[in-house]
Amino acid sequence: MLNRNQHNIKRSASNSFAQSMGNSFRYLSFVAVVATALACGCLIENGFGQDNVLPGLIERCQPKMAKIIGAGIGRVDGYASGIVIGADGLILTSQGVFLDGRQVRVELSDGGSYPATILRRNRTLQLALLKIEPGRELEYFKLSDQAIGKKGDWVVAISNAFRVANQSEPMSAMIGIISLRSTIEARLNDRDVAYQGPLVLIDAITSNPGASGGAVINSQGQLVGMIGKLINSSQTNIRINYAVPNTTLKQFVDDKINEAESANLSASDDTKLAGQADLGIVLFAVGSRNDPAYIDRVRRGTPAAKLRLKPDDLIVALDGVQIGSVQEYQKVADRLVPGVEVSIVFKRGSELKRMEITPQIKK
Amino acid sequence: MRKLLFIIFFFAFYSPISDALGQSAETMQATAQAFRAAVASTESMLVTIESYGGVGTKQGKIGGIRKQGEGNTTGVLLGPDGFIITSTFNFLTQPLIITVVTSDGVRRVARPIGRDDSRKICLLKIEDTTDLPDVSDIERVNVGDLRVGQWALSLGVGYGDKSPAVSMGIISALNRIGGRAVQTDANISPANYGGPLIDIQGRLIGICVPLNPQSSAVAAGVEWYDSGIGFAIPLTQADTLIERLKDPETRIHPAFLGVRSTPNTEGEGMFIESVVPGSAAENAGLEAQDIILELNEKNVSDMLTLKQILNRFESGTETQIKFLRTTSRSDDEQEEREEVQQPKEITATVRFLPPPKPKEDVDLLEPPKIR
Repeated sequence: MLNRNQHNIKRSASNSFAQSMGNSFRYLSFVAVVATALACGCLIENGFGQDNVLPGLIERCQPKMAKIIGAGIGRVDGYASGIVIGADGLILTSQGVFLDGRQVRVELSDGGSYPATILRRNRTLQLALLKIEPGRELEYFKLSDQAIGKKGDWVVAISNAFRVANQSEPMSAMIGIISLRSTIEARLNDRDVAYQGPLVLIDAITSNPGASGGAVINSQGQLVGMIGKLINSSQTNIRINYAVPNTTLKQFVDDKINEAESANLSASDDTKLAGQADLGIVLFAVGSRNDPAYIDRVRRGTPAAKLRLKPDDLIVALDGVQIGSVQEYQKVADRLVPGVEVSIVFKRGSELKRMEITPQIKK
Repeated sequence: MRKLLFIIFFFAFYSPISDALGQSAETMQATAQAFRAAVASTESMLVTIESYGGVGTKQGKIGGIRKQGEGNTTGVLLGPDGFIITSTFNFLTQPLIITVVTSDGVRRVARPIGRDDSRKICLLKIEDTTDLPDVSDIERVNVGDLRVGQWALSLGVGYGDKSPAVSMGIISALNRIGGRAVQTDANISPANYGGPLIDIQGRLIGICVPLNPQSSAVAAGVEWYDSGIGFAIPLTQADTLIERLKDPETRIHPAFLGVRSTPNTEGEGMFIESVVPGSAAENAGLEAQDIILELNEKNVSDMLTLKQILNRFESGTETQIKFLRTTSRSDDEQEEREEVQQPKEITATVRFLPPPKPKEDVDLLEPPKIR
């Protein structure tokens, strides 16, 4: 836990310490030492006296946060959060329809409002890079090359969820831990999942309107990631609270990811041939689409026939995706690409068999 | 040499922080202990509010969460005079009779008195104040000392045990909803509306309420239940407010302007589509097709800003409104409006009124008389 150690230390102690720090500064002219002290100063200054190190960290982050306001629906503006990643006004946020309007505005923590130009967008990673001309040096988050944060680490998410903060009002802070570092199963619910890439799952409830683009920091104030675009499964209504890891953000900002490449990372999206793949399997058509995917018959001379799939085999998984129903089978089968080998798992009697199958072109 | 001393000095102080940031079992247990101690030290002020009778709301549910009037709700005993502060949310059913169980286990009759709809809080008064639990040792956190990021615990007896359910979070933001509320990510839900938000030292921060800065509807804010966003009305600096609410006649309403407006597409301000008859806006002389430029000397160019300025006021208070008149009534037909050559800037005083009540709405804290 973060805070109990400092809890017993009286504020007076921290004050006198702060003063002695001040005196020390006067004596010292070594720039390097001062710089180091400054870098860590926030921890010392705010770590003592309060029941928590977080207040100081959060205060320090607020000037690096941005409110993004863009195109909306009807009379309500579209909005999101953003993080400042360059002193010259580089802002990172999540991709969304709010960026499609006539004008995108960025509000900084001092209440200043600036028109923004969109430098780059990536639909696979759901990221967007904006630029404003603030006319002054901004405080900003440094993007590390190294992945920040391990499973179980405390994190604070700072965002403008529900747009409760307006203009110069500070954004909201939430506490949580890192639940898991993972890659999203983009194929599981591909229509629901806008984001495809590595992610940091957190247990702070950040999956709310306006929160995407917010900062997730660790207890040292380092950027763990950026709150990702809302993922909401239409099947289970489950929302995922996650951050796009700092390393992915860095790659995006450095322009090391191009869209096609990132698409290949997680999902093959060969639209020309999608829907043209045929396995030769005919499922039981009687009953509802929610029935289990039992094979009714296997057409002769097809990939399924070559693997000797039989009527009454139950398809359990296809292409790594669990198949619970006829509907789910159809969804995955429609996406297969002719000539690209995938796995198929089926149940025959009490036995599970796993095989590789290569779809052919529909005749 | 000084440099070296400084570095040693520096790391001597730095190391305890690094330790604290690590999550050793000891610090985890110490924190849990602190949470338990904080809850234990505040339990004497908790009351369980029970209500009898009253009308069900139309849908039977508010925000789709829980049937109102089912189960008990939470309140906070303020002192030996028997005043209890809680959320108006707990009385949406207009109960005929209210009893409270104080922390000593004694059930007593209470009656509703003043209420503040802009903060969704109200006071109850226990009739028989003999041998009430002593709550004098419970401190209140000065709202000025609150810091975003510090621990906050929300308590509520709504889950059905005498001992409160506890939810942990931090203070997410200060000065929300027109400066009325603090925001937390501790779970705040129908189970603890009316209950206290406390700090890790067991001091009272405020009273948990459902709020939504974009709406002043009676159950607004409930929809954000379990969304990582919750609000509490801080109780320090609320002494004058509590004094006002001790008057059974007190009804504080949110400020209602009474315009339907949309951002002006041709420039600054909010374009008025229509004005509610009898509203504060009409009284101030606003008409459809006027453009609101400023309210309370602040520029208004979107709904949210307008709403946030309104949140700073309550009904009965006044401020300046500046608007642009771009049309004039033509002489022959009352309804027809013509665009004028020179738009006129008008500044007027607007005196806010309560929002209009839905037709079927009755005063929530005044139960219908039994015949």
